Amino acid sequence: MAEKSPTINRRKFVADGLRVAGAAGLFGAAGLLTMRRGGEPINNLWQIDPNKCVACGNCATHCVLDKSAAVCKHAFRMCGYCNLCTGYFEPEAAELTTGAENVLCPTGAIVRTFVEDPYYEYTIDEPKCIGCAKCVKGCIAFGNGSLYLQIDQDRCMHCNECAIAVACPSEAVRRVTAETPYLPKDGDPES
Amino acid sequence: MKLQPPTDSDEAVRKPNFWMMLLLAALVVVGIGALWFLGDPSPRRGGLPRRFDYNLDPYMKIDPALVRYRQDAVVPVRLYDLRAIAVGPDDAIHVAGDRTILVFDAQGKRLRRMDLTDAPRALAVDAQGNSFVAFQNYLLVFNNRGETTAQWESSARRDVFTSVALGDNGDVFVADAGNKCVLRYDRSGKIIGKLAQGDPRNHVPPPVIPSPYFDVAVGSDGLVRVVNPGRHRIEFFTPDGHHETPLDWGSAGMDVEAFCGCCNPVAIALLADNRVVTAEKGIPRVKVYSPEGRFESVVATPEQLGATPGREVETREQHKLLAVDLAVDSQDRILVLDPDAKAVRVFVEQNTKDAKDTKDVKNP
Repeated sequence: MAEKSPTINRRKFVADGLRVAGAAGLFGAAGLLTMRRGGEPINNLWQIDPNKCVACGNCATHCVLDKSAAVCKHAFRMCGYCNLCTGYFEPEAAELTTGAENVLCPTGAIVRTFVEDPYYEYTIDEPKCIGCAKCVKGCIAFGNGSLYLQIDQDRCMHCNECAIAVACPSEAVRRVTAETPYLPKDGDPES
Repeated sequence: MKLQPPTDSDEAVRKPNFWMMLLLAALVVVGIGALWFLGDPSPRRGGLPRRFDYNLDPYMKIDPALVRYRQDAVVPVRLYDLRAIAVGPDDAIHVAGDRTILVFDAQGKRLRRMDLTDAPRALAVDAQGNSFVAFQNYLLVFNNRGETTAQWESSARRDVFTSVALGDNGDVFVADAGNKCVLRYDRSGKIIGKLAQGDPRNHVPPPVIPSPYFDVAVGSDGLVRVVNPGRHRIEFFTPDGHHETPLDWGSAGMDVEAFCGCCNPVAIALLADNRVVTAEKGIPRVKVYSPEGRFESVVATPEQLGATPGREVETREQHKLLAVDLAVDSQDRILVLDPDAKAVRVFVEQNTKDAKDTKDVKNP
């Protein structure tokens, strides 16, 4: 009896083809990932180098977002926890209280919390901060410079050409890797 | 090409119309007036409104009537990182910086150089010419020939020595910003006491030292003056550590009578009659107070120390104006170690010497 030759219909042909393509894609992706892990990390995020930043105010106005992705960060390890914080108070504050007339930040984005006499902790209310860097100047003019600007990677649009980088007069905005998305002034990534 | 003489029609084009010119002049006047009325037309920083500006210019100006000292000489110091200044016998000027101590005579002529193996932080020189040089956590004692005679260790961890002062009876007081106290050594190098460390039992906190500036000086009355920079105060202690609180003085403020910023003064020195010379950072200025703390006069203005009007607040560490150190010689000349100018500025009271131009001392 003659053996019946296997028939390949169109449905089976397409299904086999898809399986082969899927397997090839899977192997290809795995290969690419393996190569990526062994290679150099890619600088694909924008960040402000606090050692180059001149606190010019351009970050607040040149970002493509309505509220800039640049915000103030606080290096707690560098902070003196001063009662008279020159990053928080106007140079000639009438009283060292949280009254708006005494406070330096135009958007009220710094929160002052009593620790123990005479020390206070200052934290940034980031949704309120527009990155104008007024506090950065006040802090470094007299103090340790623990307030500094950083680009919030959760809000950054990761533009190919960062508008802040273009406007920065001191070339302080540069590419960083996803492994080190921030450049903390005190080396503390939790800052 | 040969030029043609002007025709009547050309003259008509070139001749200015009187009424048109008058109109243009009026427009210019109105424009200038509008700009003046509306305020400063110059663009603000980053295009932000004026309230986003941080401007210290108003505080950099000093009433000239308050300046009662003049700069008599400038002694260049060929070091990179200038840290401390002290006066020795014959008013010799000792400057510590880098890993070196340079010694100049009273006129600014360089006498000798001592090389060190570590970076000095502070120094004091006694009447016999012995130098007490503080490093981050130990002291070296040199005789007047520059030979090391002793090394004194500290008693605690986290030391950051910032100042040395000598008492009349051989005591050596060393300000330790890391441990927030002043160590009292005897001449053998043994720690025999601690001053200004607070008293937790009586709820007296230690000095507030936000940045590594913590100075100490001993007056001719034997009392030890300790700067409490975070409280903007000069505090008085007996050598055995008793705090003479009624004598404390100092207040915070941007006015010339007060101490500016978060933490000042950064340095003090005493004149022969125990008047206090102070130096501040942020708004760099050197002033003189009475022994009781009443403001008397300005020695060096912010402009003399590099804070020129219109200068933006500098945020980059390597471009910031550095804090100065102070010393006073036997003639009550005030010596200001200016790390930015890399020089010692010598100031004399204006009524003690005829007015003349500043001398620039040249050293090889």
